Amino acid sequence: MINHTDTSAAPPHRDNPTGIDRPQGLVGDGDKAGQIVVAGVSKVYGRGPDRVEALGGIDLTIPQGEFVTLFGPSGCGKSTLLRILAGLEEKTAGDVTLFGQTPEVAARAKNIAWVPQSSALLPWLSIRDNVLLSRRLNRRAERDPASASRPEDVDRVLRELGLAAFAAHRPAALSGGMRQRAAIARGFVQGAPLMLMDEPFSALDELTRDTLRLRLLDVWQRYRKTVVFVTHSAAEAVLLSDRVVVMTPRPGRIEAVVEIDLPRPRGRDLADSPGFEAKVREVRDRLRRGWEGEE
Amino acid sequence: MNGRSMREEAARHRATLPRMARLLAPLVVFLLLGAGWQWVALNLKSILPPLGSVFLELAARPGFYLLHLWTTLSAALSGFAIGAAIGVILAILIVHFQVLRAAILPVALMLNVTPVVAISPALIVAFGFNAVPHIIVAAISAFLPMLINALTGLRATDRDAEDVFRSLAASRIETLWHLRLPSSLPHLFAGARLAIAAAMVGSIVSEFMGTSKGIGATIIMATTYLNLPQMWVAIFISALTSLGLIGLVDLAERAVIRWA
Repeated sequence: MINHTDTSAAPPHRDNPTGIDRPQGLVGDGDKAGQIVVAGVSKVYGRGPDRVEALGGIDLTIPQGEFVTLFGPSGCGKSTLLRILAGLEEKTAGDVTLFGQTPEVAARAKNIAWVPQSSALLPWLSIRDNVLLSRRLNRRAERDPASASRPEDVDRVLRELGLAAFAAHRPAALSGGMRQRAAIARGFVQGAPLMLMDEPFSALDELTRDTLRLRLLDVWQRYRKTVVFVTHSAAEAVLLSDRVVVMTPRPGRIEAVVEIDLPRPRGRDLADSPGFEAKVREVRDRLRRGWEGEE
Repeated sequence: MNGRSMREEAARHRATLPRMARLLAPLVVFLLLGAGWQWVALNLKSILPPLGSVFLELAARPGFYLLHLWTTLSAALSGFAIGAAIGVILAILIVHFQVLRAAILPVALMLNVTPVVAISPALIVAFGFNAVPHIIVAAISAFLPMLINALTGLRATDRDAEDVFRSLAASRIETLWHLRLPSSLPHLFAGARLAIAAAMVGSIVSEFMGTSKGIGATIIMATTYLNLPQMWVAIFISALTSLGLIGLVDLAERAVIRWA
Protein backbone atom coordinates (compact mmCIF):
# COMPACT_ATOMS: atom_id res chain seq x y z
CA MET A 1 0.00 0.00 0.00
CA ILE A 2 1.33 3.40 -0.92
CA ASN A 3 0.77 5.61 2.04
CA HIS A 4 2.36 8.98 2.09
CA THR A 5 1.87 10.85 5.30
CA ASP A 6 4.38 13.55 4.47
CA THR A 7 3.63 15.45 1.29
CA SER A 8 6.86 17.37 1.59
CA ALA A 9 8.37 14.24 0.11
CA ALA A 10 6.17 14.67 -2.93
CA PRO A 11 7.69 16.26 -6.04
CA PRO A 12 7.58 20.06 -6.17
CA HIS A 13 4.42 21.43 -7.77
CA ARG A 14 4.13 24.31 -10.16
CA ASP A 15 1.26 25.40 -7.99
CA ASN A 16 -1.36 23.48 -6.07
CA PRO A 17 -2.17 20.79 -8.62
CA THR A 18 -5.49 19.87 -7.09
CA GLY A 19 -6.57 23.47 -7.14
CA ILE A 20 -8.59 22.65 -4.04
CA ASP A 21 -7.86 25.21 -1.36
CA ARG A 22 -7.24 23.71 2.02
CA PRO A 23 -5.67 24.94 5.23
CA GLN A 24 -1.94 24.31 5.56
CA GLY A 25 -0.77 21.71 8.03
CA LEU A 26 -3.72 19.43 7.55
CA VAL A 27 -1.97 17.17 5.11
CA GLY A 28 -1.55 13.77 6.64
CA ASP A 29 -2.99 10.33 6.82
CA GLY A 30 -6.46 11.64 7.41
CA ASP A 31 -6.34 14.35 4.78
CA LYS A 32 -8.20 12.91 1.86
CA ALA A 33 -8.30 16.28 0.12
CA GLY A 34 -4.65 16.02 -0.82
CA GLN A 35 -4.56 12.50 -2.11
CA ILE A 36 -6.31 9.70 -3.92
CA VAL A 37 -7.52 7.08 -1.49
CA VAL A 38 -8.64 3.63 -2.54
CA ALA A 39 -9.82 1.58 0.44
CA GLY A 40 -10.86 -2.06 0.22
CA VAL A 41 -12.10 -1.75 -3.34
CA SER A 42 -13.28 -4.94 -4.97
CA LYS A 43 -15.05 -5.64 -8.21
CA VAL A 44 -17.05 -8.74 -9.07
CA TYR A 45 -18.58 -9.46 -12.47
CA GLY A 46 -21.45 -11.91 -12.94
CA ARG A 47 -23.15 -14.25 -10.52
CA GLY A 48 -23.16 -17.93 -9.64
CA PRO A 49 -20.94 -20.01 -11.90
CA ASP A 50 -20.20 -16.92 -14.06
CA ARG A 51 -18.87 -14.98 -11.08
CA VAL A 52 -15.47 -13.44 -11.73
CA GLU A 53 -13.64 -11.50 -9.06
CA ALA A 54 -11.74 -8.87 -11.05
CA LEU A 55 -10.41 -6.95 -8.05
CA GLY A 56 -10.07 -8.18 -4.53
CA GLY A 57 -9.67 -5.66 -1.73
CA ILE A 58 -7.41 -2.98 -3.20
CA ASP A 59 -5.89 -0.44 -0.81
CA LEU A 60 -3.92 2.39 -2.32
CA THR A 61 -3.09 5.97 -1.45
CA ILE A 62 -1.56 8.33 -4.00
CA PRO A 63 -0.42 11.82 -3.00
CA GLN A 64 -1.10 14.72 -5.33
CA GLY A 65 1.40 15.41 -8.07
CA GLU A 66 2.71 11.86 -8.24
CA PHE A 67 3.10 9.77 -11.35
CA VAL A 68 1.94 6.29 -10.40
CA THR A 69 1.78 3.34 -12.75
CA LEU A 70 -0.42 0.29 -12.40
CA PHE A 71 1.64 -2.51 -13.90
CA GLY A 72 0.71 -6.12 -14.47
CA PRO A 73 -0.31 -8.74 -17.02
CA SER A 74 -3.61 -8.73 -18.89
CA GLY A 75 -6.52 -9.59 -16.62
CA CYS A 76 -4.94 -8.33 -13.40
CA GLY A 77 -7.60 -5.65 -13.04
CA LYS A 78 -5.43 -2.59 -13.62
CA SER A 79 -7.75 -1.10 -16.23
CA THR A 80 -10.76 -1.99 -14.08
CA LEU A 81 -9.23 -0.14 -11.14
CA LEU A 82 -8.49 2.86 -13.36
CA ARG A 83 -12.07 2.87 -14.67
CA ILE A 84 -13.38 2.75 -11.10
CA LEU A 85 -11.19 5.76 -10.27
CA ALA A 86 -12.68 7.59 -13.27
CA GLY A 87 -16.22 6.70 -12.24
CA LEU A 88 -16.66 4.79 -15.50
CA GLU A 89 -17.28 1.57 -13.64
CA GLU A 90 -19.08 0.78 -10.39
CA LYS A 91 -17.10 -0.87 -7.63
CA THR A 92 -18.66 -3.82 -5.81
CA ALA A 93 -17.29 -2.81 -2.41
CA GLY A 94 -14.94 -0.31 -0.83
CA ASP A 95 -14.37 3.42 -1.04
CA VAL A 96 -12.68 5.72 -3.51
CA THR A 97 -11.98 9.40 -2.95
CA LEU A 98 -10.13 11.63 -5.37
CA PHE A 99 -8.78 14.61 -3.45
CA GLY A 100 -11.73 14.32 -1.09
CA GLN A 101 -14.36 13.83 -3.78
CA THR A 102 -16.13 10.72 -5.00
CA PRO A 103 -15.34 9.86 -8.64
CA GLU A 104 -18.87 10.92 -9.62
CA VAL A 105 -18.49 14.37 -8.02
CA ALA A 106 -14.99 14.73 -9.47
CA ALA A 107 -16.25 13.84 -12.97
CA ARG A 108 -19.17 16.28 -12.66
CA ALA A 109 -16.67 18.99 -11.75
CA LYS A 110 -14.39 17.98 -14.66
CA ASN A 111 -11.60 17.15 -12.23
CA ILE A 112 -10.62 13.99 -14.12
CA ALA A 113 -8.89 13.89 -17.49
CA TRP A 114 -9.32 10.47 -19.08
CA VAL A 115 -6.84 9.35 -21.75
CA PRO A 116 -8.04 6.07 -23.25
CA GLN A 117 -6.20 3.32 -25.08
CA SER A 118 -7.08 4.67 -28.51
CA SER A 119 -6.83 8.39 -29.11
CA ALA A 120 -10.65 8.64 -29.30
CA LEU A 121 -10.36 11.85 -31.29
CA LEU A 122 -13.52 12.98 -33.05
CA PRO A 123 -12.72 12.62 -36.77
CA TRP A 124 -14.96 15.52 -37.81
CA LEU A 125 -13.13 18.04 -35.63
CA SER A 126 -9.73 19.61 -36.16
CA ILE A 127 -6.94 18.67 -33.75
CA ARG A 128 -7.36 22.03 -32.02
CA ASP A 129 -11.11 21.53 -31.56
CA ASN A 130 -10.51 17.99 -30.32
CA VAL A 131 -8.01 19.23 -27.78
CA LEU A 132 -10.56 21.84 -26.67
CA LEU A 133 -13.33 19.23 -26.29
CA SER A 134 -13.51 19.54 -22.52
CA ARG A 135 -14.46 23.21 -22.88
CA ARG A 136 -17.41 22.41 -25.14
CA LEU A 137 -18.91 19.88 -22.78
CA ASN A 138 -20.42 20.14 -19.31
CA ARG A 139 -20.09 23.92 -19.06
CA ARG A 140 -22.01 23.93 -15.81
CA ALA A 141 -18.84 22.50 -14.21
CA GLU A 142 -17.26 25.97 -14.54
CA ARG A 143 -19.74 27.21 -11.92
CA ASP A 144 -19.35 24.09 -9.77
CA PRO A 145 -17.61 24.95 -6.47
CA ALA A 146 -16.16 21.42 -6.52
CA SER A 147 -14.30 22.18 -9.76
CA ALA A 148 -10.52 22.28 -9.42
CA SER A 149 -9.71 22.34 -13.13
CA ARG A 150 -7.51 25.14 -14.37
CA PRO A 151 -7.73 24.94 -18.19
CA GLU A 152 -4.33 25.31 -19.83
CA ASP A 153 -3.50 27.41 -22.87
CA VAL A 154 -4.27 25.23 -25.88
CA ASP A 155 -1.61 26.74 -28.13
CA ARG A 156 1.11 26.25 -25.56
CA VAL A 157 0.19 22.61 -24.93
CA LEU A 158 -0.01 21.92 -28.67
CA ARG A 159 3.41 23.53 -29.09
CA GLU A 160 4.88 21.50 -26.24
CA LEU A 161 3.59 18.29 -27.75
CA GLY A 162 4.84 19.19 -31.22
CA LEU A 163 1.36 19.59 -32.70
CA ALA A 164 1.20 23.35 -33.31
CA ALA A 165 1.65 22.94 -37.08
CA PHE A 166 -1.16 20.39 -37.20
CA ALA A 167 -3.76 22.24 -35.15
CA ALA A 168 -6.04 22.80 -38.13
CA HIS A 169 -5.68 19.25 -39.48
CA ARG A 170 -8.26 16.56 -38.96
CA PRO A 171 -7.14 13.39 -37.11
CA ALA A 172 -7.20 11.27 -40.30
CA ALA A 173 -4.30 13.34 -41.64
CA LEU A 174 -2.08 12.48 -38.66
CA SER A 175 -0.02 9.42 -37.78
CA GLY A 176 -1.01 7.15 -34.90
CA GLY A 177 1.67 8.67 -32.67
CA MET A 178 0.52 12.21 -33.40
CA ARG A 179 -3.09 11.29 -32.71
CA GLN A 180 -2.06 9.86 -29.36
CA ARG A 181 -0.15 13.06 -28.61
CA ALA A 182 -3.33 14.99 -29.40
CA ALA A 183 -5.24 12.79 -26.94
CA ILE A 184 -2.65 13.58 -24.27
CA ALA A 185 -2.87 17.27 -25.17
CA ARG A 186 -6.65 17.07 -24.68
CA GLY A 187 -6.03 15.77 -21.18
CA PHE A 188 -3.54 18.48 -20.26
CA VAL A 189 -5.60 21.32 -21.77
CA GLN A 190 -8.55 20.26 -19.63
CA GLY A 191 -6.39 21.26 -16.67
CA ALA A 192 -7.85 18.62 -14.38
CA PRO A 193 -5.79 17.86 -11.28
CA LEU A 194 -5.93 14.13 -12.06
CA MET A 195 -5.05 12.38 -15.30
CA LEU A 196 -5.99 8.75 -15.76
CA MET A 197 -4.22 7.09 -18.68
CA ASP A 198 -5.27 3.62 -19.79
CA GLU A 199 -2.41 2.10 -21.82
CA PRO A 200 -2.31 5.12 -24.14
CA PHE A 201 0.74 3.88 -26.05
CA SER A 202 -0.18 0.23 -26.41
CA ALA A 203 -1.25 0.47 -30.06
CA LEU A 204 1.94 2.21 -31.19
CA ASP A 205 5.19 0.83 -32.54
CA GLU A 206 8.20 0.71 -30.22
CA LEU A 207 10.01 3.71 -31.73
CA THR A 208 6.93 5.93 -31.49
CA ARG A 209 6.30 4.73 -27.94
CA ASP A 210 9.84 5.70 -26.94
CA THR A 211 9.41 9.20 -28.30
CA LEU A 212 5.97 9.63 -26.76
CA ARG A 213 7.06 8.49 -23.31
CA LEU A 214 9.71 11.21 -23.28
CA ARG A 215 7.25 13.81 -24.58
CA LEU A 216 4.80 12.84 -21.87
CA LEU A 217 7.49 13.06 -19.19
CA ASP A 218 8.54 16.46 -20.48
CA VAL A 219 5.01 17.87 -20.43
CA TRP A 220 4.14 16.23 -17.10
CA GLN A 221 7.27 17.78 -15.59
CA ARG A 222 5.86 21.21 -16.46
CA TYR A 223 2.29 20.70 -15.29
CA ARG A 224 2.80 18.18 -12.48
CA LYS A 225 -0.67 16.67 -12.54
CA THR A 226 -1.34 13.57 -10.52
CA VAL A 227 -1.15 10.78 -13.08
CA VAL A 228 -2.33 7.20 -12.75
CA PHE A 229 -1.01 5.33 -15.77
CA VAL A 230 -1.74 1.76 -16.82
CA THR A 231 0.77 -0.33 -18.72
CA HIS A 232 2.01 -3.88 -19.12
CA SER A 233 5.52 -2.73 -19.97
CA ALA A 234 7.94 -2.80 -17.03
CA ALA A 235 10.40 -0.46 -18.78
CA GLU A 236 7.64 2.07 -19.50
CA ALA A 237 6.44 1.90 -15.91
CA VAL A 238 9.94 2.51 -14.50
CA LEU A 239 10.79 5.29 -16.94
CA LEU A 240 7.66 7.30 -16.23
CA SER A 241 6.78 6.71 -12.60
CA ASP A 242 7.48 7.81 -9.07
CA ARG A 243 6.03 4.47 -8.00
CA VAL A 244 5.03 1.30 -9.75
CA VAL A 245 2.09 -0.64 -8.37
CA VAL A 246 2.66 -4.28 -9.36
CA MET A 247 -0.62 -6.16 -9.75
CA THR A 248 -1.31 -9.87 -10.16
CA PRO A 249 -4.48 -11.56 -11.40
CA ARG A 250 -7.19 -13.91 -10.04
CA PRO A 251 -8.37 -11.80 -8.33
CA GLY A 252 -6.61 -8.56 -9.23
CA ARG A 253 -4.59 -7.45 -6.23
CA ILE A 254 -1.55 -5.37 -5.41
CA GLU A 255 1.52 -7.59 -5.12
CA ALA A 256 4.02 -4.83 -4.40
CA VAL A 257 4.70 -1.15 -4.72
CA VAL A 258 8.12 -0.36 -6.10
CA GLU A 259 9.49 3.10 -5.45
CA ILE A 260 11.34 4.51 -8.47
CA ASP A 261 13.89 6.85 -6.98
CA LEU A 262 15.68 7.54 -10.26
CA PRO A 263 16.53 11.20 -10.80
CA ARG A 264 14.29 13.54 -12.78
CA PRO A 265 14.15 14.91 -15.40
CA ARG A 266 14.51 11.58 -17.12
CA GLY A 267 15.72 11.29 -20.68
CA ARG A 268 16.70 8.73 -23.26
CA ASP A 269 20.03 8.08 -21.51
CA LEU A 270 18.30 6.82 -18.39
CA ALA A 271 17.22 3.62 -20.14
CA ASP A 272 20.88 2.61 -20.51
CA SER A 273 21.79 3.23 -16.87
CA PRO A 274 22.38 0.31 -14.47
CA GLY A 275 19.93 1.86 -11.98
CA PHE A 276 17.15 1.79 -14.56
CA GLU A 277 17.83 -1.82 -15.49
CA ALA A 278 17.91 -2.81 -11.83
CA LYS A 279 14.50 -1.20 -11.26
CA VAL A 280 13.00 -2.88 -14.32
CA ARG A 281 14.36 -6.20 -13.04
CA GLU A 282 12.95 -5.53 -9.59
CA VAL A 283 9.50 -4.72 -10.99
CA ARG A 284 9.54 -7.86 -13.15
CA ASP A 285 10.78 -10.00 -10.25
CA ARG A 286 7.99 -8.75 -7.99
CA LEU A 287 5.46 -9.58 -10.66
CA ARG A 288 6.96 -13.03 -11.30
CA ARG A 289 7.10 -13.84 -7.59
CA GLY A 290 3.50 -12.85 -7.09
CA TRP A 291 2.37 -14.73 -10.15
CA GLU A 292 4.33 -17.90 -9.36
CA GLY A 293 2.96 -17.83 -5.83
CA GLU A 294 -0.48 -17.67 -7.36
CA GLU A 295 0.17 -20.56 -9.77
CA MET B 1 -24.34 -3.77 -49.33
CA ASN B 2 -24.67 -0.28 -47.86
CA GLY B 3 -23.77 2.94 -49.61
CA ARG B 4 -20.36 3.20 -48.03
CA SER B 5 -19.25 -0.27 -49.07
CA MET B 6 -20.69 0.37 -52.53
CA ARG B 7 -18.55 3.50 -52.76
CA GLU B 8 -15.51 1.60 -51.50
CA GLU B 9 -16.16 -1.07 -54.10
CA ALA B 10 -16.46 1.64 -56.75
CA ALA B 11 -13.18 3.19 -55.55
CA ARG B 12 -11.41 -0.19 -55.80
CA HIS B 13 -12.93 -0.58 -59.23
CA ARG B 14 -11.53 2.79 -60.30
CA ALA B 15 -8.13 1.90 -58.95
CA THR B 16 -7.80 -1.37 -60.83
CA LEU B 17 -9.57 -0.78 -64.19
CA PRO B 18 -8.15 1.42 -66.96
CA ARG B 19 -10.24 4.50 -67.74
CA MET B 20 -11.33 3.28 -71.15
CA ALA B 21 -12.51 -0.07 -69.76
CA ARG B 22 -14.47 1.77 -67.06
CA LEU B 23 -16.31 3.77 -69.67
CA LEU B 24 -16.82 0.92 -72.11
CA ALA B 25 -17.98 -1.79 -69.69
CA PRO B 26 -21.39 -0.28 -68.82
CA LEU B 27 -21.84 0.89 -72.42
CA VAL B 28 -21.38 -2.67 -73.67
CA VAL B 29 -23.88 -3.96 -71.10
CA PHE B 30 -26.43 -1.31 -72.12
CA LEU B 31 -25.92 -2.09 -75.80
CA LEU B 32 -26.42 -5.82 -75.16
CA LEU B 33 -29.53 -5.13 -73.10
CA GLY B 34 -30.81 -2.79 -75.84
CA ALA B 35 -30.20 -5.41 -78.50
CA GLY B 36 -31.98 -8.05 -76.43
CA TRP B 37 -34.84 -5.65 -75.86
CA GLN B 38 -35.17 -4.92 -79.59
CA TRP B 39 -35.14 -8.62 -80.43
CA VAL B 40 -37.98 -9.28 -77.96
CA ALA B 41 -39.90 -6.19 -79.18
CA LEU B 42 -39.72 -7.32 -82.82
CA ASN B 43 -40.51 -10.97 -82.19
CA LEU B 44 -42.89 -10.82 -79.19
CA LYS B 45 -44.75 -7.57 -79.78
CA SER B 46 -47.13 -7.84 -76.83
CA ILE B 47 -44.29 -7.99 -74.28
CA LEU B 48 -42.07 -5.00 -75.07
CA PRO B 49 -42.43 -2.00 -77.38
CA PRO B 50 -39.52 -1.07 -79.67
CA LEU B 51 -37.16 1.36 -77.93
CA GLY B 52 -37.73 3.91 -80.69
CA SER B 53 -41.44 4.09 -79.90
CA VAL B 54 -40.65 4.63 -76.22
CA PHE B 55 -38.37 7.60 -77.07
CA LEU B 56 -40.94 8.98 -79.53
CA GLU B 57 -43.65 8.77 -76.87
CA LEU B 58 -41.51 10.76 -74.42
CA ALA B 59 -40.51 13.30 -77.08
CA ALA B 60 -44.16 13.78 -78.08
CA ARG B 61 -45.47 14.54 -74.58
CA PRO B 62 -42.65 15.68 -72.26
CA GLY B 63 -44.92 18.11 -70.39
CA PHE B 64 -47.44 15.35 -69.66
CA TYR B 65 -44.78 13.16 -68.05
CA LEU B 66 -43.15 16.06 -66.25
CA LEU B 67 -46.47 16.95 -64.63
CA HIS B 68 -47.09 13.39 -63.45
CA LEU B 69 -43.50 13.07 -62.29
CA TRP B 70 -43.88 16.22 -60.24
CA THR B 71 -46.95 14.75 -58.49
CA THR B 72 -45.10 11.52 -57.67
CA LEU B 73 -41.90 13.28 -56.72
CA SER B 74 -43.55 15.76 -54.38
CA ALA B 75 -45.39 12.94 -52.56
CA ALA B 76 -42.19 10.83 -52.42
CA LEU B 77 -40.05 13.71 -51.11
CA SER B 78 -42.66 14.79 -48.55
CA GLY B 79 -43.09 11.17 -47.44
CA PHE B 80 -39.32 10.69 -47.29
CA ALA B 81 -38.88 13.81 -45.16
CA ILE B 82 -41.62 12.74 -42.74
CA GLY B 83 -40.62 9.04 -42.62
CA ALA B 84 -36.91 9.78 -42.27
CA ALA B 85 -37.49 12.37 -39.54
CA ILE B 86 -39.73 9.99 -37.58
CA GLY B 87 -37.18 7.18 -38.07
CA VAL B 88 -34.29 9.26 -36.75
CA ILE B 89 -36.28 10.68 -33.83
CA LEU B 90 -37.50 7.22 -32.80
CA ALA B 91 -33.96 5.83 -33.11
CA ILE B 92 -32.70 8.58 -30.79
CA LEU B 93 -35.46 7.81 -28.29
CA ILE B 94 -34.82 4.05 -28.47
CA VAL B 95 -31.07 4.53 -27.89
CA HIS B 96 -31.77 6.60 -24.78
CA PHE B 97 -34.76 4.71 -23.42
CA GLN B 98 -34.27 0.96 -23.90
CA VAL B 99 -37.88 0.21 -22.95
CA LEU B 100 -39.00 1.91 -26.18
CA ARG B 101 -37.09 -0.64 -28.25
CA ALA B 102 -39.45 -3.42 -27.19
CA ALA B 103 -42.43 -1.13 -27.70
CA ILE B 104 -41.59 0.39 -31.07
CA LEU B 105 -39.63 -2.16 -33.09
CA PRO B 106 -42.41 -4.79 -33.42
CA VAL B 107 -44.85 -2.11 -34.63
CA ALA B 108 -42.27 -0.76 -37.04
CA LEU B 109 -41.58 -4.23 -38.41
CA MET B 110 -45.29 -4.96 -38.76
CA LEU B 111 -45.76 -1.73 -40.72
CA ASN B 112 -42.88 -2.68 -42.94
CA VAL B 113 -44.10 -6.17 -43.79
CA THR B 114 -47.65 -4.97 -44.50
CA PRO B 115 -47.89 -4.47 -48.32
CA VAL B 116 -48.41 -0.81 -49.22
CA VAL B 117 -50.99 -1.85 -51.85
CA ALA B 118 -53.05 -3.20 -48.94
CA ILE B 119 -52.69 0.00 -46.91
CA SER B 120 -53.46 2.42 -49.76
CA PRO B 121 -57.23 1.78 -50.03
CA ALA B 122 -57.63 2.16 -46.27
CA LEU B 123 -55.76 5.46 -46.38
CA ILE B 124 -57.88 6.71 -49.31
CA VAL B 125 -61.02 5.90 -47.33
CA ALA B 126 -59.59 7.70 -44.30
CA PHE B 127 -58.09 10.78 -45.98
CA GLY B 128 -59.92 11.11 -49.29
CA PHE B 129 -58.80 11.51 -52.89
CA ASN B 130 -55.87 13.84 -52.36
CA ALA B 131 -52.11 13.70 -51.88
CA VAL B 132 -52.24 12.71 -48.20
CA PRO B 133 -52.60 8.90 -48.65
CA HIS B 134 -49.69 8.86 -51.12
CA ILE B 135 -47.49 10.89 -48.79
CA ILE B 136 -48.35 8.55 -45.90
CA VAL B 137 -47.49 5.45 -47.95
CA ALA B 138 -44.19 7.03 -49.00
CA ALA B 139 -43.48 7.92 -45.36
CA ILE B 140 -44.23 4.36 -44.19
CA SER B 141 -41.92 3.00 -46.89
CA ALA B 142 -39.08 5.36 -45.92
CA PHE B 143 -39.46 5.01 -42.18
CA LEU B 144 -38.00 1.57 -41.43
CA PRO B 145 -34.76 1.74 -43.46
CA MET B 146 -34.09 5.06 -41.79
CA LEU B 147 -34.94 3.76 -38.31
CA ILE B 148 -32.75 0.66 -38.62
CA ASN B 149 -29.78 2.55 -40.06
CA ALA B 150 -30.09 5.38 -37.54
CA LEU B 151 -30.23 2.83 -34.70
CA THR B 152 -27.11 1.10 -35.99
CA GLY B 153 -25.32 4.42 -36.44
CA LEU B 154 -26.25 5.85 -33.07
CA ARG B 155 -24.98 2.68 -31.41
CA ALA B 156 -21.79 2.54 -33.45
CA THR B 157 -20.02 5.26 -31.49
CA ASP B 158 -16.43 4.70 -30.46
CA ARG B 159 -16.36 3.22 -26.94
CA ASP B 160 -13.22 5.13 -25.97
CA ALA B 161 -14.78 8.41 -27.12
CA GLU B 162 -17.88 7.56 -25.07
CA ASP B 163 -15.62 7.09 -22.05
CA VAL B 164 -14.06 10.50 -22.64
CA PHE B 165 -17.54 12.05 -22.74
CA ARG B 166 -18.60 10.18 -19.60
CA SER B 167 -15.43 11.18 -17.76
CA LEU B 168 -16.36 14.80 -18.52
CA ALA B 169 -19.91 14.19 -17.27
CA ALA B 170 -21.29 15.34 -20.63
CA SER B 171 -25.09 15.46 -20.66
CA ARG B 172 -27.15 13.12 -22.85
CA ILE B 173 -27.91 15.97 -25.22
CA GLU B 174 -24.23 16.94 -25.45
CA THR B 175 -23.26 13.32 -26.12
CA LEU B 176 -25.98 13.05 -28.75
CA TRP B 177 -25.09 16.30 -30.46
CA HIS B 178 -21.29 16.17 -30.26
CA LEU B 179 -20.70 12.42 -30.52
CA ARG B 180 -23.58 10.13 -31.48
CA LEU B 181 -25.14 12.12 -34.31
CA PRO B 182 -21.88 13.01 -36.10
CA SER B 183 -20.64 9.42 -35.66
CA SER B 184 -23.84 8.06 -37.13
CA LEU B 185 -23.83 10.28 -40.25
CA PRO B 186 -22.46 7.58 -42.61
CA HIS B 187 -25.23 5.23 -41.42
CA LEU B 188 -27.82 8.00 -41.72
CA PHE B 189 -26.83 8.66 -45.32
CA ALA B 190 -26.88 4.90 -46.09
CA GLY B 191 -30.39 4.84 -44.60
CA ALA B 192 -31.38 7.92 -46.60
CA ARG B 193 -30.30 6.23 -49.84
CA LEU B 194 -32.53 3.23 -49.13
CA ALA B 195 -35.34 5.36 -47.71
CA ILE B 196 -35.57 7.76 -50.64
CA ALA B 197 -35.75 4.88 -53.14
CA ALA B 198 -38.37 3.17 -50.95
CA ALA B 199 -40.38 6.42 -50.72
CA MET B 200 -40.37 6.69 -54.52
CA VAL B 201 -41.62 3.09 -54.86
CA GLY B 202 -44.24 3.67 -52.15
CA SER B 203 -45.45 6.83 -53.83
CA ILE B 204 -45.76 5.14 -57.27
CA VAL B 205 -47.50 2.03 -55.90
CA SER B 206 -49.97 4.14 -53.93
CA GLU B 207 -50.87 5.99 -57.16
CA PHE B 208 -52.10 2.71 -58.66
CA MET B 209 -55.48 3.53 -57.15
CA GLY B 210 -57.55 6.51 -56.10
CA THR B 211 -55.89 9.06 -58.39
CA SER B 212 -55.41 9.97 -62.03
CA LYS B 213 -52.18 11.88 -61.34
CA GLY B 214 -48.65 10.65 -60.87
CA ILE B 215 -46.34 8.12 -62.51
CA GLY B 216 -48.22 5.22 -60.86
CA ALA B 217 -51.52 6.42 -62.31
CA THR B 218 -49.84 6.83 -65.72
CA ILE B 219 -48.74 3.20 -65.61
CA ILE B 220 -52.28 2.04 -64.73
CA MET B 221 -53.73 4.22 -67.54
CA ALA B 222 -51.25 2.71 -70.00
CA THR B 223 -52.22 -0.79 -68.85
CA THR B 224 -55.90 -0.03 -69.39
CA TYR B 225 -55.28 1.17 -72.95
CA LEU B 226 -52.52 -1.37 -73.63
CA ASN B 227 -50.23 1.57 -74.39
CA LEU B 228 -46.85 -0.11 -73.98
CA PRO B 229 -44.69 2.91 -74.96
CA GLN B 230 -46.45 5.08 -72.33
CA MET B 231 -46.02 2.35 -69.70
CA TRP B 232 -42.29 2.04 -70.37
CA VAL B 233 -41.69 5.78 -70.47
CA ALA B 234 -43.29 5.95 -66.99
CA ILE B 235 -41.19 3.01 -65.77
CA PHE B 236 -37.95 4.50 -67.13
CA ILE B 237 -38.77 7.89 -65.64
CA SER B 238 -39.39 6.39 -62.21
CA ALA B 239 -36.14 4.37 -62.33
CA LEU B 240 -34.07 7.33 -63.51
CA THR B 241 -35.66 9.61 -60.93
CA SER B 242 -34.83 7.15 -58.13
CA LEU B 243 -31.25 6.95 -59.39
CA GLY B 244 -31.07 10.73 -59.49
CA LEU B 245 -32.38 11.00 -55.93
CA ILE B 246 -29.83 8.45 -54.70
CA GLY B 247 -27.16 10.46 -56.53
CA LEU B 248 -28.31 13.61 -54.72
CA VAL B 249 -28.00 11.82 -51.35
CA ASP B 250 -24.47 10.76 -52.40
CA LEU B 251 -23.59 14.36 -53.19
CA ALA B 252 -25.01 15.55 -49.88
CA GLU B 253 -22.99 12.88 -48.06
CA ARG B 254 -19.80 13.96 -49.77
CA ALA B 255 -20.51 17.58 -48.90
CA VAL B 256 -21.25 16.81 -45.23
CA ILE B 257 -18.82 14.00 -44.40
CA ARG B 258 -15.51 15.55 -45.32
CA TRP B 259 -13.43 13.69 -42.76
CA ALA B 260 -13.71 10.13 -44.16
